[in-house]
Parts: sequence; C-alpha cells; structure tokens
Amino acid sequence: MSGGMSDMTIVLRSLRTRALATSVATALVAIAVALLLVLLSLREAASQAFRRGTGNIHLLISADASPLVAVLNGLFYANAPANPIPWAKFKEIEEGFPWQWCIPTQLGDSFRGSPVMATSEEFFTDFEPVAGVPFQFSDGRVFEEAFEVVLGSAVAQEHSLSVGQKIIFAHGSGGSREGGHEHADHPYEVVGVLQPTGSAHDRALFTNLVSTWVIHAEEKRASDTEGTAATKTTANAAPAESSPDTAAHDHDHDHAHVHVEEADLRDDEKLITGILLRIPTRPGSDSSASIAAQFDRMRRDVSITVAQPAQQIGRLMALIGDIDWLFVAMALVVLISSAASIMLAMVSSMELRRRQVAILRVLGASAWRVFALAITESTLIGLLGAGIGAALALVGGQIATTFLQERVGVVIGGAVDPRAAILVAAGAVVLAAIAGIVPAVKAYRTSIARHLRPLA
Amino acid sequence: MARSESSDGVSIRGLRFRYDRGFAIEVARLDVAAGEQVLFSGASGCGKSTLLHLISGIETPEAGSILIDGTDICALSGTARDTFRGRRVGMVFQTFQLLQGFTALENVLLSLMLGAPTLDQPRVRAQAALERLGMRDLHAPVERLSVGQQQRVAVARAVVTEPSVVLADEPTASLDPANAEAAVALIRSAAQVAGAALIVTSHDPALRSVFTRVVDVSQYGVATAAGHMGAAR
Repeated sequence: MSGGMSDMTIVLRSLRTRALATSVATALVAIAVALLLVLLSLREAASQAFRRGTGNIHLLISADASPLVAVLNGLFYANAPANPIPWAKFKEIEEGFPWQWCIPTQLGDSFRGSPVMATSEEFFTDFEPVAGVPFQFSDGRVFEEAFEVVLGSAVAQEHSLSVGQKIIFAHGSGGSREGGHEHADHPYEVVGVLQPTGSAHDRALFTNLVSTWVIHAEEKRASDTEGTAATKTTANAAPAESSPDTAAHDHDHDHAHVHVEEADLRDDEKLITGILLRIPTRPGSDSSASIAAQFDRMRRDVSITVAQPAQQIGRLMALIGDIDWLFVAMALVVLISSAASIMLAMVSSMELRRRQVAILRVLGASAWRVFALAITESTLIGLLGAGIGAALALVGGQIATTFLQERVGVVIGGAVDPRAAILVAAGAVVLAAIAGIVPAVKAYRTSIARHLRPLA
Repeated sequence: MARSESSDGVSIRGLRFRYDRGFAIEVARLDVAAGEQVLFSGASGCGKSTLLHLISGIETPEAGSILIDGTDICALSGTARDTFRGRRVGMVFQTFQLLQGFTALENVLLSLMLGAPTLDQPRVRAQAALERLGMRDLHAPVERLSVGQQQRVAVARAVVTEPSVVLADEPTASLDPANAEAAVALIRSAAQVAGAALIVTSHDPALRSVFTRVVDVSQYGVATAAGHMGAAR
C-alpha cells in the first residue's frame, strides 16, 4: 500500500463518480433494512408485551367464559370480568393446596378509563409482573389501609398524578360516561407510584379489596333501601322523584347514605373476579409437576375457569403470528427490490464503464479481477446501506419507544435486537453482492479491443 | 516452445488471425529486436491495430506464436497473459485512454499496481516518470489536463513498469503536424530511457522519415473467400 492505490481505491472512485446512483441505491437498501428491523422489533415488542405481564403466575382462576378471556381480562385488563367469584370459593381454593402464594383480585372500577384492580399486598411483594423482576416503587409505598391507591407508571404520567393527591373512581370500566357513576363520597389518596414494568399493569391502579367491597356494599345497601321505599323498576334506573339539580347517576347517593365498616361486610359482599396462583418450585426452576395436576383438579370445578397464562399467551401469539409474518415478508420484498435497484444502476452504467474496464485490463488486470471489482462495488453499497439502515432503525426504534411510553404508556424494551440487526444487515450485504453478479459478468466479458477504439 | 535466435524483443512466427468478414492477417516471420524502434505503416484498415492487439495479447490468433522476451504469449492462459501484458507491455493510444476521475499520478500508479506490483516505491517511480516527461501538475484530475499533458501522462503510464516493448497505436492521429512530431519524439525518447522496444502504428506518411525501420502492414493482409480489404478494421 506504499503507493496509496488499491483495488478499493478503484471501487470507491467508481462509486464517487456515480454519486447519484450510488446514493439512491444506498438509500433504498437503508430504507429496506430499517423497515425490516423496525417490523421485526415491533413484532418482538408485541409478543414481549404479552409475555411480560403474566410474570410468575402459574395458574389464573376466574369466572370468565374461557381461559383466554380469563387471561386477557385478568392480567391485561381487556374488560372487567362479568362474573364474580364468591369469597367462600376463594377460601376453598386457598386452603385446597399449599400454594406458594394465592392472590385475590377484583376488577370493575376505573379511573378516567384506566382499570382499578383491588387486590392484596402480596400482589406487590410476591407477584412479579415480569418473571424475576418484582414491582418497584418510584415514589411512595404499598397501600396499607382502605382508600389508598397505588398508580401504575403510565397512569401517573398520563394524568400527572403524584403521591398525596386524591382521586375518585367510577363504577364500571371504560371512558364512556354512560357506563358508570362516580364513587364521589369515597376519594382515594395516592400513596405510591410504580416504576414502569413494560406490562399492562403500568396502565392500572391498585387498591386493597376492602375499599372496593365497602363502596359496593354501601351502594348496594343504599339502593336496596331506596328500592323498597320507592318501588324501583330496575336496579340501575334513576328513581322517579329525581331532583333537577343532580345528575342521574349521582342521584342515589344524595338520598340514602349508608355507612359500612370493614367488620360489617357480609361474605356475599366480598366479591372478587380473579385468583392468581403460584405453585412452590425448586430453586432455579419455574415449573413443577404439580402445575398440571392442580390445573386438572380445579378444571373439574364448573363454577370457575382455570387458565395457564403462559399457555394461553402462546396460543394467542400463534394466532397473530401468521399475520405479522406477512409484514416481515413485505419488508423482505422491499429488501430484494433494493438489491435489484443496485443491479439495475450498475448494469445501466456498465456501457459507460466498459471503456474503464478495458483500460484496467490493458494495464494488467485479469478478467477475474474486474469481476471482483464489480462485486466489491455492489457489496459496498449493500454494506453502506445496511449500516445506515441499522442506525436508522436503532434511532427510529428509540424515538418510537419514547413516543409509545410517553403517549400510550407502553414500554418496549430494547427496541431493535442487535442479533436481528446483524442478521438483517448481513442478509442485505449478501443480496447486494448477488446483485453485483450480473454487472460483474458483463465486466468480465467486456472485449478489450472493441472498447479501446477511439469514439467515432 | 519455439525460440527465435534472439530471445529478447518481439518474435512473430506463422501468425494467422481471421476477421469475421473474409479478411485475415498472416505474418510468417517478423522480429523486433530489444530496444529497436519500428513504424508499422499502412492505410487505415489494413490491420495495424489488430497486429498491435495481437502482440499485446488483447486479441488471440488462430495460429502461430508471438514471443516477447522469449515467452510465447499465445501459449499463456487468459489471466497469465493479462499479468504478462501488465508487466512487459506498455500501451499508448490515440485517445490516450486515461482513467477519468483519477489524477495524473493515480493513472500512472494504477499501471504499477496492476502491472508491476512487485516494483518497490511505486509513488517515487510514478512521480519520476511523470516529471521526466515534463509533467508538473501531478494531482490534477486527468480530464482537466490539456491534450499535450494527457499525452505525457499516457506515455508515463506506458513506460513506468519498465516494459520490454511499448506499443503506440496511432498516437498522432488527432494531432496537428507540429504536435505530432513532438509526440512521437516524446514516445521515442521515453521508450529509449525505459530500455523498451517500440512499435508505433500510423497511416501518416510523414512519420516514415523519422523511423529507421518501417514495416508495411498491408503486405500481411490476405483475402479469404470473397474478401474485401477495405472495411476490415
């Protein structure tokens, strides 16, 4: 290299003299690589988002119609489960096996569209939303008394809530105001805010069960009293003698104020909608033969639905999997057409470059050497494009991650898998090299004598 | 391998090259001694360029042998012939055939890199070759050079590898008489300094007086079948 000239100099000079074609081909490869990587990472993120959140649960029990619905409702807050599980059933299940832990959950209320989960303190100490990664508080603590609430990270961020503020829940789920009324006389105090977990739990609020039970017991007893007095037609309809200054749903509270203490709660008022279970395992293992045994045992109980969350999510991903491979296939097509564009760019410029090839041959370059120069040239475009594309995907993925976290509250960890990035980039380079074969063959076959003649 | 009485220089024996259109070149015997300077003359289309291409190994003959410093290039494989040409044959063209996008120095360096990679200090050699021919601006892209300067670069590129033979194909065809004379003088002295034999082709009768040996290439033309000599270039 003492002379400062090499085959690479020839290749780089050739790329530089056709800067426009080089840039276009490089940009096409970069776009294809970035597109493919972003699609792959979104695909991964979607399945991650589902795989996270089931955490270290072995079994989930609810009164939903199917195991998949039970998992989507109970752990991903799709809808509030329609059917309750009586407290007696919880006690029966809790005592039926030496569980590692057994956590009751109740869903039904909401705060500005975000679901409220009533549960026990073990939900924070024993349940791990992502296996091996327990909940962590970015501020405050676990609820200790009734009417204290812990916020998922996304809820706190979306509504700019912090420890010490008081909020009011609505009965029923979802943002539609028609769906429910507010529990206006029972404000909750924010006592803790969770760190992001990258799971659906970031979008939920958490209280203890007593709070929920008390509110619903008070409302039930109040409407029962009122109902007997005013010969009510339907349970939720506004009474006939509605006063004009109050909204229809707040109406109940104005007329009958019943106060219920924890100790007053009857067993039929202690309703839950789900039970999270974990079976003791040996250290370092996440499974146990007992899981299947307990699953089979409880499945015989027709009053409940038993689900193995990991299995249900696997089934769900298998359903979605076929569709998102379609997107990946489309991105692959884009990648292949970018390689075709390299080939076209080089072939179309080949007629102009035949004279250059002929000169190199006169100076002593073999036919194989000019073949290799053409392949190197197309490979270099692939390499450059793949590098830019991977960088674009990494930066774009970072922006998308930040956006999703800030606006939607979904945490996607490690946007682009570096292994996938290397694999896709390598694929792009190989395709680019293959794209160089046709122009390389043309270079190889170039007749020296014909292309050295003075131009007419 | 047949060897001529002198192993240096160029020796052609029993050469036959057939064109597509009923015309062939047949050279029974032609020798150019080491360091000798010869003019290949003849009308346009008589086969001067083809003969030069055959000697350089760009074209391959139907039969016969071409020995350069004792090596029969017709017996070499394609790649070996390319390597041999890069090392032992320097070529100068009417339109110079410099590589666009490269500087004057780079054009000469490329010749060393492709033809004589084993020669040491290529940069020093390239600079020396250019400066010896009066080139100053070594780092200008060749497309910005004047015709005279391009000619110098083309000659430097041909002799920098210290070839056995320099082949110049119609080097004066696009020059006016005064410049043509200067160009030929330049090539002749460069070949002499490099110790190379020189074969120049030209249809210009004026050059006949410059060379001590002139070979009329039209004598090698042969009509085959219903041949016509005129258009076979």
